[in-house]
Amino acid sequence: MKYFQPYSVEEAIEIAHASESTFLAGGTDLVLHMRNGKAQPSGLIDLGKIPVLREIKEVDGFIEIGSMATFAELGNSELVAQNAYALWQACQSMGSPQIRNQATLGGNLGNCSPAADGLPPLLALGAEVHLISQEGEEFEPLSTLLSRTPLLGQNTLILGFRIPINGWQSGFAKLGRRRALAIARLSVAVAVEINGTRVENVRVALGAVGRRAFLSESLGRELSGLDLNGAWLEKGVLEVQQIVREALGARASAPYKREAVSGVFREALASIITEGGTQA
Amino acid sequence: MIEIKLVVNNKPYTLGVEPSERLIDALRNRLGLLGTKEGCGEGECGACTVIMDGKTVNSCLVLAVQANGSVITSIEGVGNRRSPHPVQKAFVEVGAVQCGFCTPGMVLSAKNLLDKNSKPSNEEIGIAMSGNLCRCTGYDKILRAVKIAAEEGKE
Ligand SMILES: Cc1cc2nc3c(=O)[nH]c(=O)nc-3n(C[C@H](O)[C@H](O)[C@H](O)COP(=O)(O)OP(=O)(O)OC[C@H]3O[C@@H](n4cnc5c(N)ncnc54)[C@H](O)[C@@H]3O)c2cc1C
Ligand code: FES
Ligand code: FES
Repeated sequence: MKYFQPYSVEEAIEIAHASESTFLAGGTDLVLHMRNGKAQPSGLIDLGKIPVLREIKEVDGFIEIGSMATFAELGNSELVAQNAYALWQACQSMGSPQIRNQATLGGNLGNCSPAADGLPPLLALGAEVHLISQEGEEFEPLSTLLSRTPLLGQNTLILGFRIPINGWQSGFAKLGRRRALAIARLSVAVAVEINGTRVENVRVALGAVGRRAFLSESLGRELSGLDLNGAWLEKGVLEVQQIVREALGARASAPYKREAVSGVFREALASIITEGGTQA
Repeated sequence: MIEIKLVVNNKPYTLGVEPSERLIDALRNRLGLLGTKEGCGEGECGACTVIMDGKTVNSCLVLAVQANGSVITSIEGVGNRRSPHPVQKAFVEVGAVQCGFCTPGMVLSAKNLLDKNSKPSNEEIGIAMSGNLCRCTGYDKILRAVKIAAEEGKE
């Protein structure tokens, strides 16, 4: 197996184009996949020595997060805590301290497991993904990117993410650790735009309900333009159960997850609305 | 073979490693540092924990090439029988060591916490130790040992 350690994005793209090698971020997924044979790369392009990919910063009304920012760095970022609370919360509960020190947000998307903790918050927060390849650069909404198969073109590098800073409030909750049976895992991220007592706009994303995390557009529509109160919360619970029912159909996990999602949804909203229906 | 340079327990090394070789393999097989233990080999148990550039990592999930240019502390760099680290002393005092397999990783997680935060709360201790599993002792003893080490360090 070949090994490359580029010092710039341009170099990384060139190597990818010329060698058909695989990008290596933290390695918490890839190293295991190489050992159990799930991945058999002919070469590795280690992204660890490209400083720009690690940056977390505010630029023109967006939080820009480099693909190599780790969960620990994101979980320690004041900028993220202030403006992307759901993502910040996901970073606190992801893996263990050792895993968070190593695992990157770009690798979370690159691996794209159904239960990837970073993806529901990014979806709810309206994140776009910044991609680059020899063909050029693009910003793609994460929700659109997640409907592509394969997710990324050969030799496409995730440069990073950008999240609009728009005053929306957000939250995240999950059930079940990674090693739990797939049936016992579930995650919910919610972002709301509140104006006085009114919920102007809502985005709800679910993880571990189906093949990839997804944004529920119907849920967003149903819950927008209403007063934020106990009735709104109860309506949300019923709607989110309906979404899980539709997404899972006759799968064995459906009855359990339909029940469980109500608690996880309430918990995701706990920083925004209290059980009693008042703003938190 | 790829040549890497790293500092382990304050000593500089230049090593030739395979691209697929893990840091734990390089430490154990090339440097003979057998205190770093391999439990699960999957990032779940923390027995292989080392401190890399001031952060704890599972050396079973880091490739040796990724450690190129890094500063690493393994259990051999923490203390010894004659002058144990306060964390090691507290572990023995409290009886937080039984078979000892998890202990090197536990000690490194605790040491790294105390290096950064000399007055951790119980919650902070719990979080810092949450990536290290023990099959023998109750966690109470381990958490108590870290608390005691923290208090001793303050004096
Ligand atoms: C013990 C353990 C616990 C875990 N717990 C959790 C958990 O609670 N929640 C969770 O979501 N995940 C968890 N994971 C999974 C894993 O840690 C995450 O998916 C992590 O975010 C992967 O990031 P990485 O940097 O390690 O990626 P890597 O393993 O380096 O890469 C993953 C994949 O993404 C590709 N890739 C990486 N970066 C880029 C890029 N910039 N551009 C294009 N492709 C790229 C790689 O080629 C590879 O295919 C856990 C893993 C372990 C071992
Ligand atoms: S051996 Fe590395 S975490 Fe278990
Ligand atoms: S003392 Fe035996 S595993 Fe912890």
